[in-house]
Amino acid sequence: MINVTIVKVLEFIFYPLIAFVIGIILMGLFRKIMARIQRRYGPPLLQPLIDIIRFFSQRTVSHGKIFSFGVILALAGSLVVLLFIPFGKICPLCGSGDLLLILYLMLFTPISIALSGGEGANPNISIGVSRKLMLSLGYEVPFLMIILSVMSFYKTTSLVEIIKYQQNYHWAIFNFPLIIPGIAYILILPAMMGVRPFDVASAPQEIASGPVVEYGGKFLGLNHIEHAIHMFIGIALFIDLFLGGGPNIGLFLVEMFIIFFIAVFINAMFPRYRTDQAIKYLWRWPSILAFIGLVLVRIHVKF
Amino acid sequence: MDRGQLSKWFKHPGIMAQKYSLWAVYFCTGCGIIEVPPSITSRWDAERFGVMPAPSPRHANLFMITGYVATKTLKAIIRTYELMPEPKYTVAFGSCPINGGMYWDSYNTIKHIDKYIPIDGWIAGCMPRPEAIFIGVTKLWMMIDKGAATGYKRYRENYEYYRKNQEKLFGKLPWPPLFPIEDKNEKLTV
Repeated sequence: MINVTIVKVLEFIFYPLIAFVIGIILMGLFRKIMARIQRRYGPPLLQPLIDIIRFFSQRTVSHGKIFSFGVILALAGSLVVLLFIPFGKICPLCGSGDLLLILYLMLFTPISIALSGGEGANPNISIGVSRKLMLSLGYEVPFLMIILSVMSFYKTTSLVEIIKYQQNYHWAIFNFPLIIPGIAYILILPAMMGVRPFDVASAPQEIASGPVVEYGGKFLGLNHIEHAIHMFIGIALFIDLFLGGGPNIGLFLVEMFIIFFIAVFINAMFPRYRTDQAIKYLWRWPSILAFIGLVLVRIHVKF
Repeated sequence: MDRGQLSKWFKHPGIMAQKYSLWAVYFCTGCGIIEVPPSITSRWDAERFGVMPAPSPRHANLFMITGYVATKTLKAIIRTYELMPEPKYTVAFGSCPINGGMYWDSYNTIKHIDKYIPIDGWIAGCMPRPEAIFIGVTKLWMMIDKGAATGYKRYRENYEYYRKNQEKLFGKLPWPPLFPIEDKNEKLTV
């Protein structure tokens, strides 16, 4: 009994650390691969970590209590979502929450960033926040249909149960009706991760990196840590839902890096959408695919 | 380059991180900015040294004043410089910010930029090639290592002098002083 408790406590401590390290490596690889695609040598792999150390060694300017509090709240929101997402066998809070709870908690981080930006009084922040909320309005329509089809196929809302079914039978992406929501998920994955065709919210050349424009020093460091964990969450949720959740951590990491490479290549290939174009895209192809998938799954479940 | 030496990282993490993560404000004051795109893209890849353009002055710690400084531009330069979080480093790029360059007799070009904001280093030439930027960056690393890049400290200590020069040029400035000024009547030597 004591052993189980100790393992649980260790999971609570080390799972965010593991996610942070993997997220930092992903961010470093992102810059390195982008550099190699552009025929540059590129920064060292741990350059994001160097940047974060630099941010924490700088003086910080705050615009008020809510401004400081929102940044911490955003990081806390990401950490809480992380504890509900299984990573191989590690999952500290899986017993107490399901997919619907994750859906609610995933809105926590953008809303905290918006809350914090409200006190920044920079027009770029309000433009960035409104673009971010518009974009999430765009990808959440297909995302909810995808989640609904997965839940109704496996007749459960628990992420752990879904992974158990997949490991006993097939991965969800190899099941006939579920492959269509899977493809729709792949199509909206860049929008959920905020990479190039859909980086309308943090467009550095248009609105000076949007919601984070007023963060300097430690706030930007916290924001980068949040970004690293967010990258981990975005890919891990896809693997848990469709790629079998990784029977062991090695396979999970291999799947994670493959998905990540696809996202980086898409990021290198395409220019940025305007917000209206992004929403037009998200409400057309992924939504149609997700809807067809949902109807097929319902028929499959009924008969 | 001592980026790989772990003992230095554990001894002075702040100094090492500031050396190898120089984010430059993407602010062009004159023609000198034409040398920056080649130095950050594939030809001379500055990102391998951790130097990259930052979208906002709040993220940045390196300010390159590229090219001649018109009087109107100086106002924006001072505001941008005061927005950056400390420690911050300033490099004047090209001969115009040093002594006016080919605009030596122009009525609206600033001849000595270090009267208005502190400068840590100068890159002379018209235009300096992108290699000169890299030589400047290595010099800046040496200065940060020795603790000689103290422009931001000088700005804080002699803020009265800089503010007085700025006000002499612009009249009353529309923003409040960055640091408190104790005695306004004190006579300062220019």
